[in-house]
Amino acid sequence: MPREIITLQVGQCGNQIGMEFWKQLCLEHGISKDGILEDFATQGGDRKDVFFYQADDQHYIPRALLIDLEPRVINGIQNSEYRNLYNHENIFVSDHGGGAGNNWASGYDQGKGVEEAIMDMIDREADGSDSLEGFVLCHSIAGGTGSGMGSYLLETLNDRYSKKLVQTYSVFPNQMETSDVVVQPYNSLLTLKRLTLNADCVVVLDNTALNRIAVERLHLSNPTFAQTNSLVSTVMSASTTTLRYPGYMNNDLVGLLASLIPTPRCHFLMTGYTPLTVERQANVIRKTTVLDVMRRLLQTKNIMVSSYARTKEASQAKYISILNIIQGEVDPTQVHESLQRIRERKLVNFIEWGPASIQVALSRKSPYVQTAHRVSGLMLASHTSIRHLFSKCLSQYMMLRKKQAFLDNYRKFPMFAENDLSEFDESREILESLVEEYKACESPDYIKWGMEDPDHVLTGEGNAAGTVDPKLADWNRLLEVKCWCQEVHWRSIVKYGLNVVFDFFRSETTGWFMDPLVADMSFSLNRAFV
Amino acid sequence: MEEEDQQKVADLIKELVIRLLSQNPHSESHPPTPNSPQFQSSLRYAFRLISSRLTPSVSPDAAAIAESTKRRLATQGKSSQALTFADLYTKFALKTGPGSVNNKWAVLYLLKIISEDRKNVKTQLGSSVLLPNLALNDGELGNESRVLLGKGNKEKGWNNGVLLVSKDPENLREIAFREFVNLIKEENEVSEEVLVRDVLYACQGIDGKYVKFDSGADGYVLSDLIKVPRAIRLMVRKLCELGWLFRKVKGYISESMDGFPSEDVGTVGQAFCAALQDELSDYYKLLAVLEAQSMNPIPLVSETASSGNYLSLRRLSVWFAEPMVKMRLMAVLVDKCRVLRGGAMAGAIHLHAQHGDPLVHEFMGRLLRRVCSPLFEMVRSWVLEGELEDVFAEFFVVGQPVKAESLWREGYLLHAGMLPSFISQSLAQRILRTGKSINFLRVCCEDRGWADAATEAAAAAGTSTRRWGLGYGETDALESLVDGAAKRVDKHLLDVIYNQYKFKEHCLAIKRYLLLGQGDFVQYLMDIVGPELSEPANTISSFQLAGLLETAVRASNAQYDDRDILDRLKVKMMPHGIGDRGWDVFSLEYDARVPLDTVFTESVMAKYLRIFNFLWKLRRVEHALIGAWKTMKPNCITSRSFMKLQHAVKLQLLSTLRRCQVLWDEMNHFVSNLQYYIMFEVLEVSWSNFLNEMEVAKDLDDLLAAHEKYLHSIVEKSLLGERSQTLYSSLFALFDLILKFRSHADRLSEGINELQARTLESSVPSRNKSKTKKRLNDTSEPGSWVSEGRKALTQRAGEFLRNMGQDLDALSKEYSSLLEDFISKLPMQQHVDLKFLLFRLDFTEFYSQLRPST
Repeated sequence: MPREIITLQVGQCGNQIGMEFWKQLCLEHGISKDGILEDFATQGGDRKDVFFYQADDQHYIPRALLIDLEPRVINGIQNSEYRNLYNHENIFVSDHGGGAGNNWASGYDQGKGVEEAIMDMIDREADGSDSLEGFVLCHSIAGGTGSGMGSYLLETLNDRYSKKLVQTYSVFPNQMETSDVVVQPYNSLLTLKRLTLNADCVVVLDNTALNRIAVERLHLSNPTFAQTNSLVSTVMSASTTTLRYPGYMNNDLVGLLASLIPTPRCHFLMTGYTPLTVERQANVIRKTTVLDVMRRLLQTKNIMVSSYARTKEASQAKYISILNIIQGEVDPTQVHESLQRIRERKLVNFIEWGPASIQVALSRKSPYVQTAHRVSGLMLASHTSIRHLFSKCLSQYMMLRKKQAFLDNYRKFPMFAENDLSEFDESREILESLVEEYKACESPDYIKWGMEDPDHVLTGEGNAAGTVDPKLADWNRLLEVKCWCQEVHWRSIVKYGLNVVFDFFRSETTGWFMDPLVADMSFSLNRAFV
Repeated sequence: MEEEDQQKVADLIKELVIRLLSQNPHSESHPPTPNSPQFQSSLRYAFRLISSRLTPSVSPDAAAIAESTKRRLATQGKSSQALTFADLYTKFALKTGPGSVNNKWAVLYLLKIISEDRKNVKTQLGSSVLLPNLALNDGELGNESRVLLGKGNKEKGWNNGVLLVSKDPENLREIAFREFVNLIKEENEVSEEVLVRDVLYACQGIDGKYVKFDSGADGYVLSDLIKVPRAIRLMVRKLCELGWLFRKVKGYISESMDGFPSEDVGTVGQAFCAALQDELSDYYKLLAVLEAQSMNPIPLVSETASSGNYLSLRRLSVWFAEPMVKMRLMAVLVDKCRVLRGGAMAGAIHLHAQHGDPLVHEFMGRLLRRVCSPLFEMVRSWVLEGELEDVFAEFFVVGQPVKAESLWREGYLLHAGMLPSFISQSLAQRILRTGKSINFLRVCCEDRGWADAATEAAAAAGTSTRRWGLGYGETDALESLVDGAAKRVDKHLLDVIYNQYKFKEHCLAIKRYLLLGQGDFVQYLMDIVGPELSEPANTISSFQLAGLLETAVRASNAQYDDRDILDRLKVKMMPHGIGDRGWDVFSLEYDARVPLDTVFTESVMAKYLRIFNFLWKLRRVEHALIGAWKTMKPNCITSRSFMKLQHAVKLQLLSTLRRCQVLWDEMNHFVSNLQYYIMFEVLEVSWSNFLNEMEVAKDLDDLLAAHEKYLHSIVEKSLLGERSQTLYSSLFALFDLILKFRSHADRLSEGINELQARTLESSVPSRNKSKTKKRLNDTSEPGSWVSEGRKALTQRAGEFLRNMGQDLDALSKEYSSLLEDFISKLPMQQHVDLKFLLFRLDFTEFYSQLRPST
């Protein structure tokens, strides 16, 4: 009864980070590329059967399903040196291989089409485990397959395995660079609805922040996908160490998540990791202590989610819960000292409506992976500032939606047939209420929130611009446009109209310096359109 | 003529000396010349002899002297010489007639004296006993005039040895003396010689003619019927004290010796008797000499005794001075030791050895060396071989027949009474522990390796394993022997315990299983025995639980553990009362087995059991909370908040849910922080301290103490100690409340599920008909809310939620009052680590802000 966890990697992104994750796990457990246990790894108190099972010939097979609608990435995996690791029956590539074309609706619809095949695979895996703990879904929320098909899978899992946990590692798109996927905001919104309703825990992996960390912390001028993916796999493997190396506490996923998620809707977790290294990079090795690691984990720059909050709001943002997983040779007495220090310095700001504290889990380090640092730490935290990420998704969606742009692609599919866009509205409504709930968590009166003024959230009708306030006074904000205000935005202004752009900018204007030149430009822009 | 005579004598002497010297084979190389120093000294010696004017102290009996000489030679082991001497003497005695020596006794005596004197000179002793006047230093000897002076009186004075003041023509003094003697003879009914002999008899414990033992007076007394002067009577009494003492000592010895094999005399007692016997034999020798002397008649002052070697009472008192001291000491010791045995006896004797008088000190030392040798032998064999060679229970280590598990703690004890005071308490402890270690190794560990360690230790101490290697007074040697042996044996013992019996591994196993360190194992166990344990205690079969335990072991990482360790893990059902659930009686136990059960005794295991029960309960509560969370987990409950319900009901639903969640959060915070506290502040910290102490432990006692400390700190810090009773009970009240909360939460989520099903049914009948139908069939059994309309449903739901809300409110109120109680008690605990718990619970100062007054 190892409390098995089945991993579903969906779409291009999901398969890429999934592959990195398995690579890392194999390294840590001393499993070779073919799934055979290395000679040096026969001893050790690790639990491999949470994520692997053994075939008749004793080689380890990941409990993983590789699902994609286009064969490119999966073919890559099948041609890589890890091709013998996976169970080939667990690989699903759609017959036509055409992908979902970055369209959520297409992915969702195709998911519905192949539900039987995929659920067969899932059932087989579930039957093969003694006490299934739950599922982990790796996907991105912006594309077509990962978001659309992933959403469909989430709903199905929730329906069929309602007693099992569903955790996702969701990659949020990079907002700092132009994306080739113009319909990203639509896809994100629709996926977020499922993440809110049908997942038990969402670990947010924000590509924006991952890039930022790669640039700032690792000093990579132009981080590749492989490099950011290795960050992701580090986080994923670190967050599962307590499951794989049993100790006194936190030996199962439920226990881990239960204390992190006291309020069911606020189940979006941020992660932080320190010290970060990337392969082949001779970093300066510093002395690591528990205190040092715990303090660094609380620093925004190490957190893998961008904070779009304005300074004022950032100061109000609060931690709902924190779990630090510390790996390495740690003297347990240091934990208490570090906690004391952190409290003295008031380094962390917790919710006021209930007791809270930093939880610390000590975990062993894999003996087979040599790391330069004695101590490393992962933080899993529920923080109210994550709502800004959702607000941003919302405002981006609003911008597109107002112009009714690209909706044709969605109308082709049954869900949106006959111009039935209620799915969008519902998703928006749910996301907005999520944002509100996070906001309410910042106040000490969370317990009573929503009771006196139910209309605010619960009626949920109309009030489309609930969070987007179109007051003209905000024009000034436009002048704060950052220098990355580039071509695409000019183009979009032409295309979608100023209001949309304005809304978009409004949500982007956090703490950026004023460039007079841009300001000037914006001003003339302003005059030209109004 | 006198002048001439003198000159003639001097010349004769010179002639004699020259002759003798030239006969001496050693001085052949240079013939004696009148000027050589050897000649001079010999000459001087000869003169001294001639001019000596002492009365011989023995009676002039040639045969007696010859006999004594013969005896002396015989006792000295020169029996051939004795024979030669006897031969020569008979020849000499037979020579009569002209030209032969008349005064044969005198010649013999002279020769004897000379030989004894020569011996004394050779052995560098002080002034000769027998020639007291012959000072050896040359200065005095140079006093020629005195020699010459004496010569004048040679004819008269030689025989009686009394220096006669020759200027006494009327012999007035002699007349006075004679009168005095007559007076004495009149006064004394018994002559002094007889009394002396009687006293000598008395001193051997034999009744004499006149001096007899009077049991009434408890001593030898001269019978009153005999008329003797008071002074003599007193003196006799005084002298007879020796007899009394002798009687006592002798009596003790014979008493002990007679009863030896059957009675408990003990080896130390025997050694003591033997030592006393030796002392007594010296005493006998003295008595023999004295008896011989007592044969000589006591000369009256005026009389010329045939020998000066007579024995008077006064002389006797001088002779008896030293034996008296010794005898007294012995008598005192005998008195003291009559009831004592073994080590106690040695200790008692030792107390008397601390004496300023060198004579006494030396005497006691001799005695103690003899007395202690059996004791030291016991120490040696105990320390090096672990053998208690103690038939008579004399040793200060006492063995008791006990079971192997308590051998270390109770098998051997220090008998304080038998501990002689010259062995310090700490040394005794070390001795005890060393032998105990050996026995422990032998009995419990079935180990033979200690013999090497002991041999090595003996070799290192330099005493080897020969018997009687140690004696009294060599405390340093003893100490180094004991230390060496202790160090090696203890080291060996620890090696055996660590390596062969894997002490550390077992401690770790206990920590992992009994203290729930192996989280995955505990979880599975909780999962599979949970349903079983909810049954009443008397319906549970421990056999079945043992099977479940085995399943849990096989399912978790515990399966990789040593089989030996897993075999020792067992289910234990505690005695249960009526109404007890399985939860109350279930526990795990670890079978430590010999020899580790010395560490993990029953009382220790009972403590572990208490800790287990506490941790198990904590785990159960945590398990329950997580179970509650699982029923309300995000993807089950989130969508509920979007149900299409009547506004008021929906509000109620949300409010109830949130209250439930917030309460859950608070409880979970409490439980998980308690868990963190237990793990970091209690278990891990204690464990790492324990490991450190294990590293430095030098012997099993250290190890036991370290383990004791480890266990104690866990008990204290996890609120199980005596001082935290109240805290513990309020903690358990909290636990029970949380378990109660769980059932409420389950009911709530069930109700909500039901509600949702109904709502879906009634609100979207058209959209998903088949599904609804199916649902209808599924849920028709409960029947509670079925056939009712939407309005009734709403009403019903409202009622349910209101009830739940009230219940939750009550729970929440009770919880906060209990928690406040608990928290307010925390700072009052004396244990500093409990403050850490408070710190964790109140990390965000949530509780201290709630109660700003305190």
